[in-house]
Amino acid sequence: MEPTELIILDGGMGTQLQAAGLPMGQAPELWNLTEPEKVSAVHRRYVEAGSKVLYTNTFGVNRLKTARIGHSVRELVEGGVRCARAAAGTKEVRVALDIGPLGQILEPLGTLKFEEAYDIFREIVEAGRDAGADLIVIETMSDLYEVKAAVLAARENSALPVWVTMTFEASGRTFVGTTVSAMGLTLSGLGVDAMGFNCSLGPKELLPMIRELRRWTDKPLILKPNAGLPDPATGEYRITPEEFAAELAPAPEDGVRMLGGCCGTTPDFIRALSAAMQGERIPSPPPARRSGVCSASQTAAFGPVRVIGERINPTGKKRFQQALRENDIDYIVARGIEQQDAGADLLDVNVGLPGIDEPEMMTRVVKALQAVVDLPLQIDSSDPAAIEAGLRAVNGKAIVNSVNGKPEVLRSILPICKKYGAAVVGLCMDENGIPQTWQERIAIAKRILDAALAAGIPKEDVLIDCLTLTVSAQQEQAAETLKALRAVRKELGLHTVLGVSNISFGLPARENITVSFLTQALYAGLDLPILNPNQTAVMDAVASFRVLSGEDRDSEAYIRRFAAADSAPKTTTPVPGKDMNLADCILRGLKAETAAITRQELESRSEMDVINELLIPALDRVGELYEKQEIFLPQLINAANAACGGFDVIKERIAKSGAGSVSKGKIVLATVFGDIHDIGKNIVRVVLENYGYTVIDLGRDVPAETVVETVIREDVKLVGLSALMTTTVKSMADTIAAIRKSGHDCKIMVGGAVLTPDYAAEIGADYYARDAKQSADIARRVLG
Amino acid sequence: MEARLTVINRKETLQYLGYLGSGIPAEVEEDISRCEQLILTTARPHAVWRYFELLPDGSFSGTAFRPQGKDVPALLKDCSGAILMAATLGSEAELLLRRSQIRNMGDAVILDAAASAAIENVCDNLCEDLADQFEPKYLTDRFSPGYGDFPFSQQRDFFEILDITRRIGVSLSESGLMLPQKSVTALIGVADRPQPHRHRGCASCTLFETCRFRKEGAHCGAN
Repeated sequence: MEPTELIILDGGMGTQLQAAGLPMGQAPELWNLTEPEKVSAVHRRYVEAGSKVLYTNTFGVNRLKTARIGHSVRELVEGGVRCARAAAGTKEVRVALDIGPLGQILEPLGTLKFEEAYDIFREIVEAGRDAGADLIVIETMSDLYEVKAAVLAARENSALPVWVTMTFEASGRTFVGTTVSAMGLTLSGLGVDAMGFNCSLGPKELLPMIRELRRWTDKPLILKPNAGLPDPATGEYRITPEEFAAELAPAPEDGVRMLGGCCGTTPDFIRALSAAMQGERIPSPPPARRSGVCSASQTAAFGPVRVIGERINPTGKKRFQQALRENDIDYIVARGIEQQDAGADLLDVNVGLPGIDEPEMMTRVVKALQAVVDLPLQIDSSDPAAIEAGLRAVNGKAIVNSVNGKPEVLRSILPICKKYGAAVVGLCMDENGIPQTWQERIAIAKRILDAALAAGIPKEDVLIDCLTLTVSAQQEQAAETLKALRAVRKELGLHTVLGVSNISFGLPARENITVSFLTQALYAGLDLPILNPNQTAVMDAVASFRVLSGEDRDSEAYIRRFAAADSAPKTTTPVPGKDMNLADCILRGLKAETAAITRQELESRSEMDVINELLIPALDRVGELYEKQEIFLPQLINAANAACGGFDVIKERIAKSGAGSVSKGKIVLATVFGDIHDIGKNIVRVVLENYGYTVIDLGRDVPAETVVETVIREDVKLVGLSALMTTTVKSMADTIAAIRKSGHDCKIMVGGAVLTPDYAAEIGADYYARDAKQSADIARRVLG
Repeated sequence: MEARLTVINRKETLQYLGYLGSGIPAEVEEDISRCEQLILTTARPHAVWRYFELLPDGSFSGTAFRPQGKDVPALLKDCSGAILMAATLGSEAELLLRRSQIRNMGDAVILDAAASAAIENVCDNLCEDLADQFEPKYLTDRFSPGYGDFPFSQQRDFFEILDITRRIGVSLSESGLMLPQKSVTALIGVADRPQPHRHRGCASCTLFETCRFRKEGAHCGAN
């Protein structure tokens, strides 16, 4: 087949089956087994109308939904492929295994795990492959993460071509916020064979988005719009087949190669489309595409200066190392939030530490970061298994940091980058170490580029790090690095990454050197500096450079940055008023002041004394006022947050001194299985933590077994369970029964909107906690 | 008609926060204003609805759906038709709520309360628009699965009939919970004569700050 030839797809299936007698609300897939001739008849009408690809009637087939249908995934998929194949006959019509969204929302918004989604898709792919489908179409998707699970399942379990279409709103985003650029970059990287849009909108609304998509991918494009927008009262679509075909007329010009229809379209629409597209060709070649990396909702195109935050890295950081050893993911995530707020465009993620299972930790940290931060990520490791774990968990397109000129490193890591479509950083060093001249470094960069191209990684995804050496030790090397930078841009045409901070190591007033080197490096062509965005002077230099380079149009961002700085009160180190004591600060929710006073108090008292004589009594007073209804919930939480400022100071000090912990004991908290409303549990957690307890928060939708395993493994004496709905109180009862059955000796407190003290007793709980304050009282009774 | 979020009723936000008139410090008042503003700018509300004729056996035309219990039939006793609706603040607001629970729990509780007030506003606006559209007929109050004796389990029928997941991006879990959480499904009767309206809630009352019934967790039943 000529690469420029158009392919006509099919149209709506569900409405056609309803017209044939399928009752509304009944699963259409059941008919693959009970009414196969009716399903085949719809397919056949599409073939007669000109369809060259038939989507099987399997949109809703997956393990989560088929339980209600009463047939296995395999049976329904086999039936679906059989129905389509019967209609395709011997003509040149291909049968596409249709895979729709799972109907449950993936983590972090929902609770369905990425790995479980993958496994559900795997089952469908294997059934379709065995039933003889010619290709796989993944359609009507709104979540890029779900698409990634489906594409990986298709790629890893079949050799069939994979097409993906997602569903966008008029705003240019999907329901869960995926952007067109993120879709283009991510799916190009994952190596799908074609991509585009279906459903939700009509041709008129979708064509501008196709133009946007084309800027980010050179894959063939697919368009399967609805028949316009439905009438809300009746659900009926209004445009005619002729109007539909006419509206799609510009599509080939915009690079659309596969055309069909979605909701509201019928064989008549496909016939009109097929007639209108007779003899149409798509122009070639497509325009040069843009490169970059992305999360699902935020794209960092390569070219302008993009700051990569370096703070998620244990090297030389005691507190960070402790967080890794203690599984304190919150601390690590806070470093990500901090850098995003300080203006980082990407985050480097390094969790390598002896004694840590790096691949497992990488997966956890990547997922936890994605739950809070929108920035694209750079997976920083030398362990291929950790790199793969990170890339698999990433939602979007990431950078891998890094490979170097050593053949065995290139051999082991480049194929992983290729598989997941990641950009890769190549360090200008090899088995002989770091070359002393810029020419030698360029030679290594060239070797890395060649190896990457040979591995199938596009040139624009190869980023070179010319390496910063400490100027106090090797003074002449700063100039070599700058020369190498210039040459990589000019001679190789590649984007560059550079860790900047190292330049000033060992010198006083380091910031001067760092800022000056950064500015020169940016001028020499560095566009992806790796630095500490929390250093104001460094970010000021970046802001200034963006003005001078013309990248910051009309100095808008610069003016915003410094206008805000001038008008804001100076908040460097808050100096508490003389008359303010710790209790007042906590009651008023003043976190910085609480931290400052805690620091003062620690000069004359021990950590434990500050906790027991100052922080806890202050929190008690707040709790009392709350119980008397003299303050309300936001004030209680603000007070707990303020106390947290004090506890952080103490934890920092203890980490530095290497002394033991100040924890008053461990408590497991969980929102029970089936329940996703966890704000109540999270309030309890904040309050308990600020009373000095170590909270092991298992999250929401937590199976009973997980709770039991954890209380036994961690030898926990108090468990708090939360459930909001009457429907999930049952699983609270089950969880309590499971803990009791395990024989582990611990107390259980429960809370949640629908619980009462009587009911709590009835399901076997030891305590009922009406609110966060009471849970702290219970903790004191049980743990002291 | 588009789903519209126009205003957040401060009293409703306060009610969701369990406020009983103890006085609000200026900085908390500021926090509430900031959080309400954040919800107003972040939320991208969506709604979907459809009108059905009511058949003599109480089922909805063209579907197998028949509301169970006594409350809905009582609500619909004067009605020849009914509307099924679903509305949501969207996933951006949901993400904001989730993230705030990691970043700052103080903001999180206020945002959650403001978002609850916001989805009520979206539903109120939709019902107003529907009332205009269905004139000269009259609409009943809206009634959601899980209230009164209208079984929570019938929520699933709303999802299948309105194709809610595909149309507005709300999913329904195995245990019957909606995601995004700030989402509502409801039915509304369409009648030929004016319909009585039930208690609209304390947040619409002028005595909100001082009411002694409310302080004791009850209400006067007047509004």
